[in-house]
Parts: sequence; C-alpha cells; structure tokens
Amino acid sequence: MTMRNETKQSGNPISEEELMNSDIKKLNRRDFIKAAAATGTAAVLAVSLTPTLKALAANNQITSPADEIGKWKPTTCQGCTSWCSKEVLVVDGRAIKVRGNANSKVNGPASCPRAHMALQQVYDPDRIKTPMKRTNPKKGRNEDPGFIPISWDEALNTVADKIMELRNNQETYKYMLMRGRYSYMRDIIYDRMTKIIGSPNNISHSAICAEAEKFGPYYTEGEWTYRQYDVLNANYILCWGADPISANRQVSYYLSAWGDASDRATIAVIDPRLSASASKADEWLPIKPGEDGALASAMAHVILVEGLWYKDFVGDFTDGINKFVAGQNVNESDFEEIYTHGLVKWWNIELKDKTPEWAAGKTGLPVDQIKRVAIGYGKAAPHAISWVGGGPVMQVRGAYASMACHALNGLVGAVDNIGGTLKANKEYTQSFPGVDDYLDDIAKEGKSHKKIDHRGRLEFPALNQKSGGGVVTNNAADGILNEDPNEIKVAIGYMNNHAFSCPQDERWFRALSKIPFVVHLTTNASEFTWFSDIVLPSTHHMFEKWGYVKVHGNGYRHVTLNQPVIDPVWDVRTDETEIPWLIAEKLADRGFDNLLRHYKSYIDPETGKEPTNGQEFALYALKHATHKLWDPEEYQAGDKFNGWEDFRSTGVWNSAPYPFKKRWGAMKTDTEKFEFYSETLKRVLGEHAEKHETTTDEVLSVCNYQARGEKAFVPHYEEPFTHGDSGDLVLVDYKSRLNREGRSANCSWYHEFKDLDPGDESWDDVAKINPIDGKKLGIENGDRIKLVSPTGELECTAKLWEGTRPGTVAKCYGQGHWVYGKVAAKEFGIIPRGGNNNSIIPADYDRLSGSTAYYGVVKVKVEKV
Amino acid sequence: MSKIVSRNVNRRDFLKLGGIGIAAAIVPTLISQQSKASSPLAGKNLAMVIDLHRCVGCGSCSIVCKNENNVDGDVFWSSRISKTTGRFPNVRFEYITTLCNHCEKAPCVRACPTKAMHKGDGGITKHDPDKCIGCRYCIAACPYGVIHFNAGKSHEFWRDDKPLIEGATPSAREVTQAVNGKVIPYYNPARELDKPGTGLRKRGIVEKCTFCDHRVSKGQLPYCVEACPTNARIFGDLNDPNSEVSRILGKFHGMRLKEELGTEPKVLYVRTYSTGTHPKTKGSV
Repeated sequence: MTMRNETKQSGNPISEEELMNSDIKKLNRRDFIKAAAATGTAAVLAVSLTPTLKALAANNQITSPADEIGKWKPTTCQGCTSWCSKEVLVVDGRAIKVRGNANSKVNGPASCPRAHMALQQVYDPDRIKTPMKRTNPKKGRNEDPGFIPISWDEALNTVADKIMELRNNQETYKYMLMRGRYSYMRDIIYDRMTKIIGSPNNISHSAICAEAEKFGPYYTEGEWTYRQYDVLNANYILCWGADPISANRQVSYYLSAWGDASDRATIAVIDPRLSASASKADEWLPIKPGEDGALASAMAHVILVEGLWYKDFVGDFTDGINKFVAGQNVNESDFEEIYTHGLVKWWNIELKDKTPEWAAGKTGLPVDQIKRVAIGYGKAAPHAISWVGGGPVMQVRGAYASMACHALNGLVGAVDNIGGTLKANKEYTQSFPGVDDYLDDIAKEGKSHKKIDHRGRLEFPALNQKSGGGVVTNNAADGILNEDPNEIKVAIGYMNNHAFSCPQDERWFRALSKIPFVVHLTTNASEFTWFSDIVLPSTHHMFEKWGYVKVHGNGYRHVTLNQPVIDPVWDVRTDETEIPWLIAEKLADRGFDNLLRHYKSYIDPETGKEPTNGQEFALYALKHATHKLWDPEEYQAGDKFNGWEDFRSTGVWNSAPYPFKKRWGAMKTDTEKFEFYSETLKRVLGEHAEKHETTTDEVLSVCNYQARGEKAFVPHYEEPFTHGDSGDLVLVDYKSRLNREGRSANCSWYHEFKDLDPGDESWDDVAKINPIDGKKLGIENGDRIKLVSPTGELECTAKLWEGTRPGTVAKCYGQGHWVYGKVAAKEFGIIPRGGNNNSIIPADYDRLSGSTAYYGVVKVKVEKV
Repeated sequence: MSKIVSRNVNRRDFLKLGGIGIAAAIVPTLISQQSKASSPLAGKNLAMVIDLHRCVGCGSCSIVCKNENNVDGDVFWSSRISKTTGRFPNVRFEYITTLCNHCEKAPCVRACPTKAMHKGDGGITKHDPDKCIGCRYCIAACPYGVIHFNAGKSHEFWRDDKPLIEGATPSAREVTQAVNGKVIPYYNPARELDKPGTGLRKRGIVEKCTFCDHRVSKGQLPYCVEACPTNARIFGDLNDPNSEVSRILGKFHGMRLKEELGTEPKVLYVRTYSTGTHPKTKGSV
C-alpha cells in the first residue's frame, strides 16, 4: 500500500498536475523527517494527523516515477560543435538533469559525458551576476582590474557613449566585434550591428576552430563545410587525428554508433598519441607529427598500384589494364575518368614516387602497416571513410594535408556514398532582414575600410572560396598591436576568450590592453574579461537563451532550438539578441536610431507584431529565422509541424534523409567533378596572385609552402614546419572528451573525471612523455616540469606514458586558466591551475585556409622545476 | 526494538514516536508485511551486464551517477579502473567501469554488525543510513573498494560563503539558495522520495551504489544504464530466462571481478574493451 492510496482514502487526492508542480524542494530536511514520522503512523493514526502534516506526507510520498517529477524541456547543448538537441529536467524552475532529445534524428537520446557538466556551468558560483566596470585604468596580465558591480543602465550608457564617439568622429571602422562560439542568432550582433555602426571588423573565431578541415573538401568536391560520416554502413574507417568518441563532431551520435560500427568496419586511427578512439581501434598508426600527408600520398599510391580505386566513380584505363606502376608516368589519354578530374595528373605530379617505403621513412610507421592499411582501405571501397580531423591539418602547410587525406575518399568512391563521407542535408532556415536601408554615409564609409586580421593580403590568402574569403582570427592581435590597417578604439567580444584560446596568448594580453575600451559579454570572468572595461553578464546558451543551431550527422540534419528552460539565475541578458537590442535603444536615445529601426523590422511571423523589448526581439527573430520549418503553409521538407508551439515544444526539426550520390557529377567545383587536380584551387589561387600582381609560386613562397608549379593544384605531401629547433620534444596538443571548448575548467566534474582521457590524471594537468624520452631527459613520473617554447612556457606535471610517441610530448588543452573561477584557477588572477598549451604554441598559420596552427608546430624544451 | 522496525520507518523517527504506544507496537509489522507483498522487486535477481566492446570509456555513467544520487566530489558510486599496458607502439589502454557488485554473497553484509548493510528485494545490496554506526567494517570487507565513508559534511564546495568578486559573483551557497536547491543547486529530489532525508548522506556513515533502487522500484532503469550513450549497460532479472541479461549471458562469458573470492557479483562484463581484430598469423620461433 502506498501513501498515495492512503491520501486518496483520506479524501485528499493529489492530481497528476499538482504532482508535477509539487514543491518538493521547499521541504527542508526537518520537514521530511517529520513527514516520515507521519508516514509511519499514517496507516493507523490518519485521523489524528493535522491537515498540514497530511499535506507534507502526501508530498514526500509521491509514487510516480522519479523522472515524472518536473518536466523534461527541450533545448540545445553547445558544449562542443556537436550541437546536440537536448532535454533538461526542470523541477520547480531548477535544472537538474540533462539527456539527449530523442526527437533528434542526429543524436537521438544519446548524450556524451560533457553535456551533463552544463549543469555545473549554469549554476557556477563564479558566474557574473551583474554588469561590472573596471576601476583600475592600467591593463595587463598582472593588473587586477578592480571590477565593481554597476547597473545595466550605467553599463549600456557607457557602451553607447563610446560607440557614439566613433560615429561623431567618423571613425566607426575603429569598432571591432569578436565572436567566439555562437548560435545562428549571431548575425544580429556580428553582422547587422557591426555594419550599421559602420565597421568592417566583425572577426569570427572560425580560424582557431578548424577551417583547414574544410579546405580539402572544398578544393576537391566544392563543399566548405564539415562532413558527416555514415559509419554504420562503412567497412573501413580511417581517422586522421580525429577522435570521434571523444572530441570531434556529433560525439553523442558516434558514441551510440561506435560499438556497432566497429563490429562491421575495420578502424584505423592515425595519431601520435594513443587517443580514446585509437585505444579501441584495429590499427593504431602512431605517426610522427605533421607527416600525415606522406601517409596519405603513400596510401593513394598503393591503392592505385594495386588497382583498388573505385572504378564506378573514378573510371578506368581505356584498355582495362592498370598502368600505375611505381616511378612511371602514365599517359593522361589512357585513362577515362567518370566523376573525377585529374587522376593521372595527380599520379604523375605527386604519387608515382610515394611508395610505402618512402612514407615509412617520413612517418616512422612500418612499411607493412602502411601497405596493410592502404590495401584494407582500398578493398573496402566504396564504403571506406577517410575522416579528416584537426590534427593533420591545423598545421603550418596543413591545407595540402587536408586535400591529401580527403582525396582518398574520392579514390575509393566514398564521397556522397553509402558508408562514406557526406555533406550536410538541406535545411530551410532563413536569414534576418537586410541592412541596406539602415546604412548611412558614415556606416558606408566606415565599412569600406580593410579588416584588422589582414585576410586577403599576399601573405594571408585565407581562400575560403575566394581570396580573403576566410578569417585569420589569431592575426587580429597583431593587427591591433601594430595599428595595421588602423587603430582599434572600441571592441566587443562575446562567448569568446581569445586571451586563452589563441596561440601565443600574451599577444592578446598586449593587444587587449592597448584597446582603450573593451566590452566583454560572458558568463564568467575569463582571461579576455581581465582586460575589459565593461563586463556584461550573459545567459547560458543551454538554459537561458533563445537561439538555434543547425548541424548534420547520422544521415540527417537537424535544426535545434536553444530555449530558456529556466528563468535566468541572475540579472543576465542574451549576448546575441537582447544586448544588441539594448545597445540599439541607447544609441537611439543619442540620436542614432538606425540599428533600433532595423531590429524593429524583425516582426513576429505569427502575429505581425513589431518587437518592443529585447526579449520579444529575441523570440521574434528566432521565429522569423525558422519560419519555414514550423509554419505548415511554408512547409518545404523534413519534419512537419502544426505551428510554432508545436515546433518549440518538440525542440528540433529533422531534414529529409540523405540523398546519396546525388552530387556525383554535380559538385560545386569548376569541373563539377571530384578534383584530384583542383581546377578550382588553380583559379582561386591564380586570382589571389593576380590581385597582388604576382605569380602563384610567389604566393606559395611567401606563405611558407614548398610546392611550386603544378604541384600547388594537387593534394600532396609538404614537410612539417616546426618552430623551436633546439627543443626536446614536439608538442602534441589534443582536446579532452570533457572539454566544453575552453569552458569546462571551473566544473568540478571536469577535474574529478579528467582521467577519462587516456593517460591523463584526475585533478592534474599532465604532460605525457614516453619513458624512453623520460630516461634521456632525466624526467620521472610526477616531476613538476616546465615546457618551454620560443614564445612562452607553462608548468605542469610529468607523466611517463607508453601511449606517447617517442620524440613527442602529449598534453591536453583546456587547463591553465589563471582566471575564470575558483576551481579553474589555482589562485584567481594570479596562478593558473595547470598550463595553457596556447602559452607555448607560437602564433603561426596555415595561410591558404587562414587557420591557426596548433599541431606539430613547436618543439619544446622540458625542464624540471 | 530495532529488529521489528521496518524499512519504511527509520529507527530514530520511530523512537520519537515512542510515546504513541499502540502505534509503536502494531505499525511496523503491518507495514513490513504490506511492503513485502507489494514490492515489485520481490523474487527478482537483478543484475547488470556491461558490454565492454560497446563501452568507449566516456565516463557518462559515473558523471550521471553523481547527478542522480547527489554524490559528492571525492565519492564515486560509479567509478572506473583504467590502465595502459605494453610498450610503444604495442600499447593497449583498457577501461573497466565499476560500481557496487551487489554480490550474492556480499562480504559487506556479513561484516556489518548492525544490519545497516543488508540484502533487499531483487538481491540489491542496500544500506540503511539510520542503522549505520560508521564502524567501516563493510569497507574493510568489500574486496572492490566501492563503499565510501563520509568523514565530513557532504558538498563542502556548495557550502562556501565567499564570492569570487565581491558584489558581482554569488557565493556557492547563494546559488543554491537563489534556485531553492538543497545544498547543491542541481539537487535531485527523486533520490529521497522513498526514504526522506537520504538525498544527501550524513557525516559519519558510509554510502554506496544502490542500483538506483529509488528508480528500479518504480520500473525505471538505474540512471547509469538509462544515460549510457553507448548502450553498454544492460539491466534485468537473472531469474527471468527471457530477460536481456539472461539472453546475453547465454551467448557470452560473463566475467566477474575477483571471481575467485566467491562473492558472486551481480555485475558481469562481456566481450572486451579492445574491439580490434588482428591479421592471421602463427607467430614465429
């Protein structure tokens, strides 16, 4: 017999709804004990219970399944770029649990480990609960900003005054907006606000993410995006530095699929350290850092010599006889390609001499393993995935490794194929209203200036589809420091932390110190905040914000909503929508109302109403952007909804299933084919050279690539470029399975479980060194050591570990915060907990993509402390 | 007195009610009988099968366990054993997720002088905090190291009163108060619904995994099973030949930790963490 039955018998039934809303948490422990006592006696003494006690007894004896206390509410996790659709269990306005949103066809109910830590972020005691201003006018790493709380009004007035100063002096191009992680509400603050104020300087974080990963796919198959991988139908999965069960994209999905995928496919992981994925793979190829291009070329060589290329996609020799023989040129006219372009050119220019024996010398891998993996991969065609992660490509000269590793997909016909590598499915969100009607002469003039990151200059081609089409995020620090092309006077950053996440972080310390007025929109006082003048506390993206993101995996694309599933814990506002609206209001007060008038044009598609405040604005903007997904009259494809509320309460829209092979012969390259000889790159690189009145060879020379002539247009091997000749070990940076990008370190679960990354230790930050090197360097397990590079140093603990390739030191990114919070920093503002890898990585670039180099880029000295 | 106190009335509360003479004599017996008759777990032999092949060592189980059961920082009801073996480049990393084995012949139960540690319905090794005197014999007896003693107050982190930045950030205690949590802001009240006051563990007693008895008794899966993104954990009744656990153990050898001790754990591991194959070979001499 349960208490609930008893209550019913005693004539005091509780409805299901009351149960859902029951105020369990308001019972303190003493109440519970009292109630428990009541329970024990209730059977016999029900008549003697006071009404109050009865109510208490009823409340604490709820017999409905535990998860039916409260309500699961849909939202989105942006802890990493998986962007999973989630549900949060909310009890009396309190978020208590997280799970995958089963309505998503991308992630389903699966949830990776780091998603749960979002709870420790939203309730982080070190979150900023009110706007702050700096009281110490001096800025620097060792200058305590002396932050004091101020009102939103004061904060926004100050920001608006500074922007108006630029407008009044007609120097709006000295305004800068730095974007970190974002939802697709981003254009409101990133694009529209920057343009209407009148600046070219909206600088995204993309080039410190993985732009080089997109370079290979773009210049072979015309897609500047991340791929999705059909792992459940694959027979071979080759991971280049990718660690899908830890830290690449769609981690939750791949976690759920990996067991079945590995039942079917052979999995080979190429990584200088034993990653989580390597630990579960059939083959671990512990390659020397930066030599991935050599392995890729050798694999292509073997596949061609062995006749294993996929003939239905690539084509064949006209007489059917394989003429790919090591060291010998082939006549182009002897081979008839179908959906690819330039196979024989690739062979003649690059591959013919790239034997496994040659590659073994470069990569440090055994010849038989190179052959075995190449043949295994080739024989699995066309269901053979070559999965290019950040490791081999976010390097100096990484663009060509990106092409080389990705080109294998073309060779085996895995592109756009079942069990292969896919692009994103079509989705139907729409952009926000345009700005043209709101740009005045000051804005138009300001906007015409050059950008602070130097994209498109001779030495920074950043070829995202065109010369200067991409961003060179980390170079913006140098632009600011050198006032090149101009000084920056007012800067706003949101959900970013360049002073932590960009290599050679001290450049950002100086750059941010130099800017007279810096505003930070953030949840925590981070390294970037340390150099700021005004700090605006932001909502947490998963619990307190309206927004949406779109992402693909498992053969689908979903559009999932960020929703305010709880009331904001503190006096915070949403970075991408409410705060720009509030700034717009303040600018309008000062006689410049263009931005506010623009924002007021975002009308609610349901009611036709114009927004009257920041919260309405956020909601209307979101409804506008996703209009075609939820309005049955605008229906295009994929999931269908009855209206906004139907969509909102489901939380996610799924696309139609993937249309396999639809792009065969219709790729967005210049030839519409998969280009082994990239006519597209030849054109774009040519345009860049022409812009600077020079040759492509000169561009390549200035940009530190080795290729000259025709080689520049085919996937090929380039030797790694590594700083720090006198160093002991090459740094192998990697990402933790618990990293919520750089924002996990103030969560206790992060440290309690840090050992989930193979080789790492709980509550420590260890540099993993092979015992062979440990002996050579006189380093023992547990020694406090310094890693010293030409541009900086960090202190951490040494760990001798067999999973590290000799000659390298593997260390995880994510710790080394000297601010952010009490847990993240050992002593807030003063001493970091662990070491930040970006303190020892020099600022260098894969210039063709604009990407910052993180891997294989520096040799460090190891010193005992 | 303690002999006849049922699961539904804790000893201390019962003593408080001692004044109500008649009730004290009758109630326990009644409730005890009722609860036995109605227990959905009676007659079951609950077990967990962990498929190491599907497990990727992500640790979600252990993190959500803390979340579900309001477990403090240095305490792990769900934990792991991991090790790296071999010499480069022939290196293996292995990972075994661990929890209370809910042994058929539980040494902790035998060691407990107060019957705080006891076998409950479904074969769950349960712990009654009200009977626990904190002697820690169970910890000494458990060969698996899965029982934890609370020397101090739980969740000291969340009892901190000092803000990071005066006036601009809250203190930890302020967060919990602001959202009306209980010591921790994301406190899960479901943990104590069956037994009020047990949502957090008191100082001076032990604690461990309960197979999420508060969920299982309502027909739900233990939360580590529910939340495992790889579906590596399978839960069910060994007495039911049609249960998934029975089916899987019919197919694979169920490895148990420290089998030789004869504790007969109810957590069984199948397949291996290293999923790879290897090329055909006979080796060489």
